[in-house]
Amino acid sequence: MGITSNIVYDTIYHSAPIILCVLGGIFAYKANVLNIALEGFMLMGAFISALFVMLWGSTLLAGIIAVGVGLILGLVFSYFTASRNGNPIITGLAINMIALSFCAFMLKVMGTANVNVSSLVSVADLKIHIPIIQDIPILGDLISGHPPLTYAAFIGIFVMWLIMYKTKLGIYIRVVGEKEEAAKSVGINTTMIKYIAILIGAVCCVLAGINLSVDRVALFTNNMTAGRGFIAIAAIYCGRGKPGASAMYALVFGFAKSLSVNLKLFAGPISGMFEVLPYVIMVIVLAVVSVLKNRNVNERGFES
Amino acid sequence: MNKQKKWVLNIGNSILPVLLAFVLGAILMLAIGENPWDVYSIMIGKSLFTVKGILKTLHGAAPLILTGLAIAITFKAGIYNMGVEGQMLLGGFMAGIAGYLITGLPPVIHVALCLLIGIASGMLFAVIPAVLKAYFKVNEMVVTLMLNYAMIEVLQFLTEGPFRDPASGFVSTPRIAETAMFNKLWGSEITPFFFVAMGVFAIMYVVFNRSRLGFEVTAIGKNNRFAEATGMDVKKKIMTIMLISGAISGLAGAGHMMSDQYIYSLNFSGLPGLGWDGMLIALLGMHSPVGVMIAAVFYSALITGSQSIAIYSGVPKEIVAVIQGLIVLFLAIQFIERRTGVISRWTRMMRTKKIDGVEE
Repeated sequence: MGITSNIVYDTIYHSAPIILCVLGGIFAYKANVLNIALEGFMLMGAFISALFVMLWGSTLLAGIIAVGVGLILGLVFSYFTASRNGNPIITGLAINMIALSFCAFMLKVMGTANVNVSSLVSVADLKIHIPIIQDIPILGDLISGHPPLTYAAFIGIFVMWLIMYKTKLGIYIRVVGEKEEAAKSVGINTTMIKYIAILIGAVCCVLAGINLSVDRVALFTNNMTAGRGFIAIAAIYCGRGKPGASAMYALVFGFAKSLSVNLKLFAGPISGMFEVLPYVIMVIVLAVVSVLKNRNVNERGFES
Repeated sequence: MNKQKKWVLNIGNSILPVLLAFVLGAILMLAIGENPWDVYSIMIGKSLFTVKGILKTLHGAAPLILTGLAIAITFKAGIYNMGVEGQMLLGGFMAGIAGYLITGLPPVIHVALCLLIGIASGMLFAVIPAVLKAYFKVNEMVVTLMLNYAMIEVLQFLTEGPFRDPASGFVSTPRIAETAMFNKLWGSEITPFFFVAMGVFAIMYVVFNRSRLGFEVTAIGKNNRFAEATGMDVKKKIMTIMLISGAISGLAGAGHMMSDQYIYSLNFSGLPGLGWDGMLIALLGMHSPVGVMIAAVFYSALITGSQSIAIYSGVPKEIVAVIQGLIVLFLAIQFIERRTGVISRWTRMMRTKKIDGVEE
């Protein structure tokens, strides 16, 4: 593969977990809950799945356990924010901190620096080669041969769009987000809707985490999510919670990440600086989108 | 609500989460087969019940007081500034570079110069999110978080590359010169930096409680549209608040470098990092300077104690970070007043009784 096709392949590869995260965050965003615990859910998913693959050897079982743990964390988050009116930002940060330190704690207890399951899970076997497409010269290399959850991410964009705009649940979620009192007045259980929105988010983030650890590299290292949850939040902000648009911004990050990975090979001594690219690009994109959004809004004074 | 009752409430709302977090931490320790009582008594005993331990605790509290104040001032204004960690790291790194590149200065001047460089770099790094927030209405939380990650990567690159100490076995910058170090006092861990931090605390106490700026911060935090309507230039105030926060963060990093670390290594600020600890401290201290100071000392005692538990028991010191996360989680809701309303119900009961009594 040439450098260009490498970049395209890596763009898909690196944006998949962020797209999954974005899809999870969108529901909470639309239900007007600022869910910044995405990062924590994702890290927990990555860790628990790797841990249980190591203990039991079954990818599927480990995935189910990880989703279960994610749901528990999601329930904690929803209880604190939706039922007890806690500050969602503080709750989210707390969950991120707990996830990060819990993983570090468990790694220390087990006495390892990382959870390596490459002897149990063959990453090469997990990759799906799509029957007809893989034979097409260039396209086959780019689209075929990704881990299963990467495909799930891209299919998920459409599924989430369907749920959001074509089902009763999606309408309820959006109504709760736009005007909670109005939703209450017509008899919608707003608290339950918020719970559902947050729990969908938790499951998606756990899948993103599984994609990061077991699915792609069969390895869990400490703090391997490295801010992807927050990048997903930035993408949601830029795309204003629309599944398609937000996923596009996630692709922008994937592209930045793949640029940094691929250009590193040619950069020589300053290759370390390319790690900065994705974050800086995200700040610039967020700034540009905000400026464009506010350009035609004329308000007296300052309003945040 | 009268002042005394509010005070009791605040204390209760700060202590209950801590107790709950300790209980959950104890359950976690039981789960891995250790005795939580022993661990906690080692932790507290080593940090609070010897003179040396207390001085070490105060030494550790110095940068935490500063990061706590840096976050408290922005949180109080309703700005979710998460950039303290990055600003603190940059301040520490720059002070470290100045500490070993510049030589031959008298100690006092060298120390002052390094501190100033740390403050300036922290402040400069805070300009980016401040401008984006104040003039372009960009969500400050996401920006500051992204910039933190970017800064960590940049500093890692600089430490591994241009500024790496070739003589050192692991990745770090060279040790700063003797003249740039804060000297240890009375044969213990504590250094003059603690008094620098206390000086900043005193200034911030006045700023928060007695100055116009402190009042404006509170007003903006309560309702920024109303603040604007009364004639405040909210944009300028946000810039000021963010720059003050950046300066204090930079000072925290520089002080941590010059009184404790002396080199910039990849775990300069520990887990989860002084900036994140500062957030916990600001929340625990209810955004007030005195509260921040008490919380910083308490938290420093936890960290000081955690260094001993890894030696005397089988529990990794990361347990403290877990407990810390749990404390923040429980701080997100107000235990006593909001829902259960125990105290207000109780006082209402008392009042009605009194009225009944009068009527009789």
